[in-house]
Order: sequence, then structure tokens, then C-alpha cells
Amino acid sequence: MSIGATAIIERHEAERGHPAVTYRHAGDRAVLVEFGEMEFDLTLNFFVLAFDTALRDHPVDGLVETAPGFRSMLATYDPRETSAHDLVDDIARVQAALPEERDIEIPSRLIRLPIAFDDSQTRAAVERYVHTIRADAPNCDGNNNIDYIVRYNGFADREAFFDAVLATEHWTGFIGFFPGLPFMFPLDPRYVPIVPKYNPTRTWTPEGAVALGGPCQAIYPVESAGGYQLYGRSLPVYDLQGRNAAFRDNPLLLRPGDRVRFHRVEEQELLALFDDVRADRYVYEFDDQPLDVGAYRESLERHRDEAEQWRRSRDEAAARTPLP
Amino acid sequence: MTEAARATRGQQPGIEIVEPGLQATVQEHPGRTGMLGQGFFPSGAMDSLAMRAANILAGNAQNAAGIEVTLGNFAMRVVHRDSVVAVCGADAEVTVDGEPLPTWQSRRMPAGSELRIAISTGPGFRLYVAVGGGIDVPPVFGSRATYTMGALGGYEGRPLAKGDRLALGPDGGGPSPRRWRPDVRPDYAREWEIEAMRGPQAAPDFLTDGDMETFFTRAWAVDRNSDRTGVRLASQRFEFARSSGGVAGGHPSNILDNPYPVGGVNINGDMPVILGPDGPTAGGFIVAATIVQAGLWKLGQLRPIGDRVRFREVSAEEAVELDAQLDALLSENSLEDA
Repeated sequence: MSIGATAIIERHEAERGHPAVTYRHAGDRAVLVEFGEMEFDLTLNFFVLAFDTALRDHPVDGLVETAPGFRSMLATYDPRETSAHDLVDDIARVQAALPEERDIEIPSRLIRLPIAFDDSQTRAAVERYVHTIRADAPNCDGNNNIDYIVRYNGFADREAFFDAVLATEHWTGFIGFFPGLPFMFPLDPRYVPIVPKYNPTRTWTPEGAVALGGPCQAIYPVESAGGYQLYGRSLPVYDLQGRNAAFRDNPLLLRPGDRVRFHRVEEQELLALFDDVRADRYVYEFDDQPLDVGAYRESLERHRDEAEQWRRSRDEAAARTPLP
Repeated sequence: MTEAARATRGQQPGIEIVEPGLQATVQEHPGRTGMLGQGFFPSGAMDSLAMRAANILAGNAQNAAGIEVTLGNFAMRVVHRDSVVAVCGADAEVTVDGEPLPTWQSRRMPAGSELRIAISTGPGFRLYVAVGGGIDVPPVFGSRATYTMGALGGYEGRPLAKGDRLALGPDGGGPSPRRWRPDVRPDYAREWEIEAMRGPQAAPDFLTDGDMETFFTRAWAVDRNSDRTGVRLASQRFEFARSSGGVAGGHPSNILDNPYPVGGVNINGDMPVILGPDGPTAGGFIVAATIVQAGLWKLGQLRPIGDRVRFREVSAEEAVELDAQLDALLSENSLEDA
């Protein structure tokens, strides 16, 4: 148990249209199941979600709960009922019964949400950070994070970045960090801005703030700390009190597999909509539209050259930009 | 008269907070399980051993809700009912109407009497108050544990404040006074040894063997910016097995966001943070090691003022054995008449 010891329980290579999988000890009550390699490949997340559903439909001895991540899943177990090795065998059997990755269809809902870019509340959060935590953070130059996102990705200007946000649907890969926070990723490969996170983190973020960290977009469900670069504000995604009908059955608006498309509004209008949500005058609109993994793969193929070109210019811009 | 009828007349048996101290919350064990995938860590007693022990002493089920007191300077009054009470956890002077009550010992409190916990000088950092019948607050998502960041559970989803009135459940009327046998009391120290398993992101793919050696041998100072979300440790420049985090970010501690285990030791750049019961459920940093179930209770007793921690590596099999020993310890067999 020292030199050469490892946390890896087992590793299976990719086969039969399934990605490679690595099982890791995460303490004596959980196993972390990781698919594929560490790369920004949304099909790994589709596979995680399909696997998560399969585990709910086919209960495994001793499995207590699962929590998906981008390309991984934490499987919590009761060590009085099973062992890490038996659990791995059992869940591997469930995985083996899944269809080939490209044939998977994932239940999904499309939801349209308003966004106000560069609103006064997120600007106030950045200003507060500059005054109380770090004055010389390059990501906060000009008391906002938007100019840094623009610079890091080589966008021509702010509007070009905003257009990129509006041009694609965002895939909710998983929920986590805080209750109800969606980790969302652009489905269109031509619009994948990335940005490093705050260093150190921020102590205050307004509810409904929209932000970018790495390739991931987030909507903050509650006032909280945070490390993503802020660029706008949308509507509530969490309401324990169920003031709006969308939250009566479940205080979390979004679930893994949901797609968010933003439409632009001015801040005044957004604030009015915020009030409408609270007063139950606003109706969140969902459309059931399953995601076809095969069709997604085809769209990647179709946009490959354009996406590759954009990625190159983004990486060049990133290399010229100081880290936070 | 029913409990409900009593409540409407303001006669419901309960406790009244006289002084909450640094932070006091309603907690229970094991907290809010089954919600990780929706972004909820379990919350619950940070030192579950002391919480469960206090419940046994008070004649409650081990999962009854009690009060987690941080550091001390806490006072409460029992109202409208004589109640059995026990306080377990850090060393501190405890009194009932001025009469000393040793920690790890139960006694009956007459209705109207006041329990007071002075500031703990250590070792240990938190104390757990169990009252016969348990604190009766409505469960939220299956648990009475307070989660302050989500503003839910416990009493109005917040830390207790002066004047708060908490209802009590039906009292089982456990015998008292009794105490926890001194030979089976947990050892508190200023220098802690905590059992952990390496991973999920350890050597050889994320850290070097040298890093893991450092991790399991160094005495880590506990940082003052520690709370129920996480216990921060002294910073450390790890070697890391990778030169960067690649697509996940520039720093080699970065990974694509993934779910975290409770008790995971998260490497945030150069700062290790042990994820506490109210911690984040997911994030983009590696977890070098994970504290095993039987060692988790010690997190609640780390004093963020001079305590140091060493991690002792255990196997999954040893962890299960330690857990069974802990469960066996938490029974009436550990009690004696006081």
C-alpha cells in the first residue's frame, strides 16, 4: 500500500460501441465510474445519462444512489450489502446490456430562457470581488468578466460572444455543486467558448447569474460563492417555496438531459420577468424532444472543419491571455 | 391534550434557545441521503459519533435530531416538560442551572431549567446536545438536518438564534443519569490521525508516488477558514503527474467537472480541502484521497486553530472492519450508571 499503489479497481477497454471505462475507489462507500478519456466529448455524457437511467431501471444489490458528472458517475453503495468489486461486476453487467453508444436516444426537454447580458447585478458581483478579494485579477479588468471571455476566446467583440451564446442549445450534462445548478454544454461544436475559473473564488454571486467556467455554462440557483466568469442573468432555476407552478413538484427546474436555448432581453424586462416568476404569472415552457445521439454525431461531422478552425483561433487567443 | 392542541396554546414541550454561540444548527445522522444527483450533500452532524452517542444517552434513536454547537458559548432552556439531556463532543464546562454536568453523561432537566455550555478550550471543536424525544422539526427531502446554504431543513433552514422555540418529539423516558464508559470514549487530540483511502484521482495518473507519500506522512495544519462545507489544510506544492489540466483548465489539479464523495480531499490548486457534510457535490478538481466512513466523525472535531491532521492509509476491507467496530461501540453496552 505505498509505492505503486493505485485507486483504480478495474479498467475495461472500449468495445462493442461502448467507451472505455475506469472504476476508481472513492472511499469505502463509493466507486467513481469514468468513461473514455479526459476530453470535451459530449457523447460521453450521453452515455453516462443512459447508464444512469439503466441503473435506475435495473436495481443492483447494495447500490444506494448515483450522481452523474460530465464523463463519470459516483455510485454510492452500502458496504454491508456489497463490496466495491461485486458492485463493479454488477453494474458492468447493466452497462453491457446498453445499446451501442450511437444508437442511444435520450429523453430531453427543450426550454427557452431569457438572458440579459452584462446586467447590473453580475457587474456588482465582479466589482465587489475587485474591492474585497483581488484587485489585480486579469479576468476582472474593467470590473467585468465579459471582456476577459472575449479576449481569451479571440471573439471580435462582445456582441460576437453574445451571438455564440444565443446560437446554440445548451445541454444539461448533470446537476451539482449546489442544489439545482445545471452544468450545461453547447451542443453546436462551432460555439464552444472556454475560460479559466476565478483564482481565488468569489464569495457572492446573484441568483440567476449565468456564467462560464472551462467549457461549462452555469445558472446559479441561489446566492452563493462561485468561480465561473459572469456574463449575464436569467430566471430562477430553484425555488424551495414553490412560488411558481414550475417548482411545485420539485424545487429544481432543470434535470440532466434538458436543453436550454437563451433569448436576449434587456435587463428591465428580465427583472419584470423575475417578478412574474415569483408571482406565478410566468410560465416556463418545456418541449419534449428526445436527443438522437446518431444525429448529434452527424452534426459534429458536418461542422467539423468550421469547428476546428474556430478552435485553433480560440487556442491562439488563449495562449496570449494571462491566467487569473 | 394532543401535542398539536398544546402547541396552539403555546404549551408544547420544547426548548428555547437562550444563546446560540458561534453557530448552532439542528442536525441528525445520516442526513439527507439519495439527493447527490440533484446537488445536495447529506448535511447532518459533522461529528456523527458524538451525535449518536448523545442520543443513546438521552434514550433516543440514534437518528434523532439534536443540536450541533460550534465551540460553545451556548445556552438553552427546556420548557413545559422535564427532559433528559446529554452533551457529547469537545471538552467544555457544561452546567444545568449552575450545577456541573460532565460531557458524555445524561441527566434529567426540570422544566424551566437552563443548560449552559462554556467556550470549549479543546481538544475538539463541536458539541452535540441530545434531548429526550429529539428535536421535532419537519423533515425536508427525508431529513431534519439543517443545510444553511440551501436554506432548508432544521429550524427554518437557518442557524439557531436567541429566542427560537423548538418542539420536542414524544419522550421515551430513558433512565438517567448514565455516562459513556471512559474506556470506550473516543480519543480527542490536537494532532489527529484520520483513516483514508487513496483516490479516486491519485497516483499514478494524477499525482506522483512522491505526492502520495507526502500526503500520507505530512502533518497538515488545519486552516482557520474551515467550516461545515470544508476543512481547509495548509497549502502544498504537489509535483502532479500531468503538466496541465488540458481541456479542463490550466492547472494540473483541474479535471472535467465530476461528482465528489463526502470526505474527499479535494486539491484546489495548491490547497487541499476536505469536503464536509455541507460541501459541493461536484467540481473540477482532483480528489487525492477519501476519508472512510469510520473516520469521518473526526472532521467535526478539528479545531481550526492549531490542530494538525495526519492521514493513515487503509484498505477497503479495513475500512469496513473499522465501520463495524464503530457501530458496535454505539450501543447501550457503552453506557454505565453515573
